[in-house]
Amino acid sequence: MRTAVKKPWLIAAGIALIILGAFPLFTGSNYLLAVGVTFCVFATLGSAWNLIGGYAGQVGWCYATFLAIGAYTSFILFLRFGISPWLGMLAGMAISALAAVFIGSISFKLRGPFFSLSTIAFAELVRVYLNWHKDLTKGSNGLVVPYRQQNFWHLMFDSSHMYYYILLVFLIITVLICWRISLSRMGYFLRAIKADEDAVCSLGISPNRVKTQAFVISAMIASAVGTVYAFFLSYIDPQSMASLDVSTKIGTMAIVGGLGTLSGPLIGAAFLVPLSEVANILLGSSGAGMLLYGLLLILVFVFRPEGIVSFLNWKKKGSGPIKKEGSSVSLRKGGNGHA
Amino acid sequence: MSQGWLIGQSLLNGLTMGGIYALISVGLTLIFGVMKVINFAQGEFLMLGMYITLLMQRMTTFDPYYLVLPVAAGMFVIGMLVYRILIKPIIGRDGTSFIIVTMGLSYVMTTVVQLIFSPNSQSVHSAAAEVTVPIGSFNMAMPRLVACGVMLVAVLLVYFFLKKTDMGRAMRATSENIEVAQMLGIKTNNIFRLAFGLGITMAGITGLLLTPIYFVYPTVGAPFKTIAMACVVLGGLGNIGGTVIGGLLAGICEAFVGSYISFDLAPGSIYLILLIVLLVKPNGLFGKGARKA
Repeated sequence: MRTAVKKPWLIAAGIALIILGAFPLFTGSNYLLAVGVTFCVFATLGSAWNLIGGYAGQVGWCYATFLAIGAYTSFILFLRFGISPWLGMLAGMAISALAAVFIGSISFKLRGPFFSLSTIAFAELVRVYLNWHKDLTKGSNGLVVPYRQQNFWHLMFDSSHMYYYILLVFLIITVLICWRISLSRMGYFLRAIKADEDAVCSLGISPNRVKTQAFVISAMIASAVGTVYAFFLSYIDPQSMASLDVSTKIGTMAIVGGLGTLSGPLIGAAFLVPLSEVANILLGSSGAGMLLYGLLLILVFVFRPEGIVSFLNWKKKGSGPIKKEGSSVSLRKGGNGHA
Repeated sequence: MSQGWLIGQSLLNGLTMGGIYALISVGLTLIFGVMKVINFAQGEFLMLGMYITLLMQRMTTFDPYYLVLPVAAGMFVIGMLVYRILIKPIIGRDGTSFIIVTMGLSYVMTTVVQLIFSPNSQSVHSAAAEVTVPIGSFNMAMPRLVACGVMLVAVLLVYFFLKKTDMGRAMRATSENIEVAQMLGIKTNNIFRLAFGLGITMAGITGLLLTPIYFVYPTVGAPFKTIAMACVVLGGLGNIGGTVIGGLLAGICEAFVGSYISFDLAPGSIYLILLIVLLVKPNGLFGKGARKA
């Protein structure tokens, strides 16, 4: 989309970085820090999701699976063998990469809704497995890592500050990776796949290979974040890690912010995470945050398919990837996500 | 309790549960067949049907089965309204928009119901709930048999509606080729609305039939939603007969894995079958036409 980063964006990124970096220094509140951690986690996951779901237009709902693989692998390795979560993170990333190749080998043959459905089937299978294999995962009771003492090697810290900064570094690295990819050949291939997969095929590029490469990269990112997030929470269970709700939340960040844009998932997360906290406080129920996700998904997609980011694009206003067409004739033509 | 008895009982349990899956799946496949989009809120409409049944039953104290007509009518109206407000503006966009909007709708429905009725489980009393019917040496719970029967009647009605009425013919024409259908003077928008309303009604009736055997709570629809999608893909999208068989197959599979391997793994077996089918026969067991683009 942009070959070079424009100046206003650079300034905005600098300001955002200063705010994000300095914010924990001014607050001692663990609650606010936890919100900050959640923001970093979901912004990173949303950016990873955006590689496949946004740039390539392959809307999959299985990212909780990679989050859960990262979380469970490091937890089990740590609890059973005392292996450092940093090594567990690498193991989780390797398993996630393999899982991504496997899921991709089946799902990328399918298009549009079928792709979405097959990723849901995978994600549900993993959740059912985590519930079932009680020897390893304790089923729906979940796993707990008891706190011992501050130890960087064990990813245990007295306060949330360190988790926040580690995840912030992850977020920055992820954004840089996404930025590099969006400017590379792979980025162009991914966007070409979104525009017209058959045309990409006819130019001698294998869409499945490109998609799988991007999928593996984003799966490894999601898995690494899962490890740190799990140690921050110190408790994981299949419902909070591997359910469809989590996968949807991840995708929502990118969709609400702006599909296929670098800043979209960040804006989405900066908007949704604090707002859902407010909704939970106001409506007094832990489920109220979901109401917000649902409403925003509907409102954004019905009225503003380009996402919040389109309000900030002062130059090319309203030139999003999805055209609004009045007549229903185009139901079968145009667009790329059809059966 | 011989081995043969367990096989027979599992088969019966699976078939009757499969009937329930088939009913909600037929609604989903009807929407897909005409509009070529997948409704990700189908399970939540089932949940809504359960709550409407619950409310009506509390108000009238009738047995839930007597409420089938008002609940169906209510769900039909709700389906039409949802179509008018949310679906119509996104007609003409790609299938992914539809997935995202209906997914958003499913979260809104779950949370709103949760805020109104609390997340606690509630139950609907039915006289049929305690009755079991002996079939040979097997036992079958009455509500499940009724559900299976209603499923058969509903599917036959839909079948005759599609084959024998003008509206049904118009619907099939729209499903076949929307541009030609429009050229022939069919108001495809009305057909979409009708198909969406009918699909939602079937989800609502499934909800009603579930109330005697299931607790009613806000997230009750979620597993049914994913299972229904699996059944629909199994049967070949848009294929009503195939979807019924897909539903029965899913029910049987779940029952056998549940009684022979592990109850926890039972829902997983459906997804596993779905993936295997997608791998070897991407058009579903009875699908026709191209799956790609």
